[in-house]
Amino acid sequence: MPMEEKIGVYVCECGPNIADKVDIDKVVETISSLPSVNVVERHKLLCSEDGKKFLKESIQKNELTRIVVAACSPKQHEVTFMRVCESAGINPYFFQLTNIREQCAWIIDDKEEATERTIRYIRAAIRRVLYHKALEKKEIEANPDVLVIGGGIAGISASLLLASGDRKVYLIEKTKVVGGKVREFAKLFPRMEPCSDIISQKIKEVENNKNIEVHTDSEVSEVLGFLGNFVAKVNTSENKAIEQPSEQAIKEKGLENKELELKVGAVVVATGFSMLDLQQLPQYGYGKYDNVYTALEFEKMNAEGKILLKNGKPPKQIAIIHCVGREKVGYCSRVCCMYSLKFANYIKSKLPSVKVSHLYTDLTVPGKTYQKFYEQTKEKDVEFIRAQDIEITESNGQLTINHKGTPNLKPLNTDMVILSSAITPSSDAHKLAEMLNISQGDNGFFVEEHPKLAPVSTSMEGIFITGCAQGPKNISDSIVQAQAVAGKILSSIIPGKKLELEVKTSEISEALCIGCQTCLEVCSYGAIYFDEIKRVCIVNEVLCRGCGNCVGSCPSGAASSKHFTTTQLHQEVVEALR
Amino acid sequence: MKEKNGNVLIIGAGVAGMEASLLLANSDKKVYLVERTSYTGGNVIKFEKVFSNMECATCMLAPKQQELLANENIELLTLAEVIDVKGSAGDFTVKVRKKARYVDLQNCIGCSACFEPCPVSVKNEFEEGLSERKAIYVPCPGALPNVPAIDTENCVRFKGKDCQLCKEACMFEAIDFDQKDEELKLKVGAIIVATGFSTFDSKKTPHLGYGKLADVYTAFEFERMFASNGPTEGEIKLRNGETPKSAVIIHCVGREEKGYCSGVCCMYSLKFTHYLKEKLPEIKIAEFYSDLCIPGKSYQKFYEETKTMGPEIIRFNEIEVVNANGQLTVNYKPDTLNPKPQTLNTDMVILAPAIEPDGNANKLAEVIGIPQDEYGFFAEGHPEIDSVATQKEGIFIAGCVQGPKDIQDSVAQSEAAVGKILSSR
Repeated sequence: MPMEEKIGVYVCECGPNIADKVDIDKVVETISSLPSVNVVERHKLLCSEDGKKFLKESIQKNELTRIVVAACSPKQHEVTFMRVCESAGINPYFFQLTNIREQCAWIIDDKEEATERTIRYIRAAIRRVLYHKALEKKEIEANPDVLVIGGGIAGISASLLLASGDRKVYLIEKTKVVGGKVREFAKLFPRMEPCSDIISQKIKEVENNKNIEVHTDSEVSEVLGFLGNFVAKVNTSENKAIEQPSEQAIKEKGLENKELELKVGAVVVATGFSMLDLQQLPQYGYGKYDNVYTALEFEKMNAEGKILLKNGKPPKQIAIIHCVGREKVGYCSRVCCMYSLKFANYIKSKLPSVKVSHLYTDLTVPGKTYQKFYEQTKEKDVEFIRAQDIEITESNGQLTINHKGTPNLKPLNTDMVILSSAITPSSDAHKLAEMLNISQGDNGFFVEEHPKLAPVSTSMEGIFITGCAQGPKNISDSIVQAQAVAGKILSSIIPGKKLELEVKTSEISEALCIGCQTCLEVCSYGAIYFDEIKRVCIVNEVLCRGCGNCVGSCPSGAASSKHFTTTQLHQEVVEALR
Repeated sequence: MKEKNGNVLIIGAGVAGMEASLLLANSDKKVYLVERTSYTGGNVIKFEKVFSNMECATCMLAPKQQELLANENIELLTLAEVIDVKGSAGDFTVKVRKKARYVDLQNCIGCSACFEPCPVSVKNEFEEGLSERKAIYVPCPGALPNVPAIDTENCVRFKGKDCQLCKEACMFEAIDFDQKDEELKLKVGAIIVATGFSTFDSKKTPHLGYGKLADVYTAFEFERMFASNGPTEGEIKLRNGETPKSAVIIHCVGREEKGYCSGVCCMYSLKFTHYLKEKLPEIKIAEFYSDLCIPGKSYQKFYEETKTMGPEIIRFNEIEVVNANGQLTVNYKPDTLNPKPQTLNTDMVILAPAIEPDGNANKLAEVIGIPQDEYGFFAEGHPEIDSVATQKEGIFIAGCVQGPKDIQDSVAQSEAAVGKILSSR
């Protein structure tokens, strides 16, 4: 039993809500007779301004050390009363709210029974509060700098918003240049605006921004740490030497390769996408027949100038096949219908007399301006065929598309085929997921913290996902997500401001831990690590959000949740059942 | 140079407006959140569940709504409308007309004792008219802030009668007939417009029978019918009180009229099959669609899950809903190689209407002075590369005010607007 405490119990009438259904006189009388209680008071409405003032004065006047309030749901007013405790000079965790409105008054018709249950709940709360420990708010310093992995349109857009005088951005790009796949696009759907101006403008802005440090030919090899305090290692073989490598570094890594160590507060994963490998779908004849192209190949051909067959002659008929690989990957990639329509526009503007046929399953043109683009494209004498079970054959250079479709079941002869294939996660997604301890969905894209309300955060605080790394999407949506990441980071890691941490975290007793690491597996936040020397698991309080998964799974009782310790809960339950 | 005002005005307390408010408040910005209705949560709190994880929508939003009310940096102005905006980025002066609630937000504890004595009964708009409410009311149980408002158009006291039954019933002196409408002048540096959407009026597609045939429902009507805090407490029943044995869900209602695909209707229509099968496992369902629009990494999986529940999923070319000798009947031409006209009898029809700009969008666009596109949505700074900016510096758009989209994309846009605001210091 803890040392002598001065306990105050306050029963709220909640107007008629509790007073009509519970005999509060009897409650006060019974609780007053308990030996451990110093003060018992009732109030008409404790959450009102008058009630809060009354509570504060009573706590101070009686020099109380533990407070129990019997009122409504903790969801409604726990914070209210904790604030009162704080203002009265008592640690807010030396307080317990017991819900006698929703759990007694509102659900029990019999007044006597409701009164009896109320007394029981208050006794349990008194018992529990005696075992409470004072908990203090903790704060840590946070580095405002940001590591952005991937120099495509999403990574660039995020960097440009994030970089400022007091925040540096390290933009790490695997290839030799920034700009990503969008660099290769001639135009943007649906307005057919030239793309190169837009992307080169953005690249220029990045290059001119002295707060963005770009590393091309570079890859992140390790990220350790947590929100506000990450340390990343970057392997770089870029030509422009930012600093002179030390002699030792040259010996170890060779001249071209060096390793940078970067300290940042947040990490943005903007690694973009790959396209489904068409070798996996032999029915389309890609790689086998000369004039079957992937979407990116066609995009490039168009951007470079003329649309020609492999034999150098212009095509007379082109078929664009949508949904290539949709069945295989198990999702609709959202952008293929639109870029396929864009291709028809490319073709019609360069070769107006070419016959263009679209073979599609469902036309996915969501959003306010896309259907119009479809209708405008259709007007350019472009054919649309709903087709299934497509198979392509070739004889004497003539491609034939066999399909089941409407309005036309006849095989379609064509000179050229463009395959609009599914968007897949970038090839190194798996490696990154492991390095950053973030999860991938069944389809390989990184998983967001919440599919509706937190689309660009991950379950690892301080690590964000954006653009096609999170899922297939168009340029507009990728940029929105990049800006969203900036919104999340700029509003949470503010230069000069400390981060406030969760108070009710878990802790693991070194003495009791047997090092089985069960807790490591159930922790969704990567907040537990294994100390190889001591052979015990340790909670990182910065990352822990107090969910209690580790407590529930710990076979040796070493893990406990602050403010929900086994002792506290046990004492509360014992008293409630007595 | 004049110091930029760091305060932000957010118009609309739906899911987009709430997210933006919380992020900005977290970065120590003063936020004025102006909401036309008496509650927060926008259209999303009318949903019982959201696709594709079928999470309870009210449970999902409640922590955000509560945080919003508790956050000292956020000043929530309900029953309020922006009536004038002057100035430029960093220095806007905004006039807001705030209607009196006639119930004190501090004193009221939300016990609802005032409803019962009120002699007035009118259709509840929040419940799509499927139930009645009093002249002093909250739109539905669980609405936040959990404080009723008096509807002066229907309250007999405001029509000259000497009624104060609600005031007499209130134990907390929360009802105050002397409250006055106010006009507030706010100084802000940036504005986010997040006024959301309405749905296409299904009466404009008369061949689908809405408004004429009793058991043809709109998506929102069906949402509220399924809602556990709704007019039937979640019981799915026909107008005559009977339980339907079959249901038809029609996608793409108004797509042709509007000229665009709203992008979310296929998904929420598939969700309705989940709703129906959850409550009525034996019910026969047919979903009629023109193009199945289920873009993104997780939606097709949801479609495949839905298929296992056994609905017929039919691609149609032409469709109409008629009353054939007292029987609700769907006549349609399937979009197949052999499109012979077909008929299907059903007990109920649910229409999935297109998303369109909120009814007040035109007025607001004029007040703020930013252009709308041909569909009435607010025009972006640049549709492809800057979709949350507008053509006026310092004014941003987020969510369905910019165009039809799902919750995830609305939230992303609101976070993006915050990113733009916080980076332009």
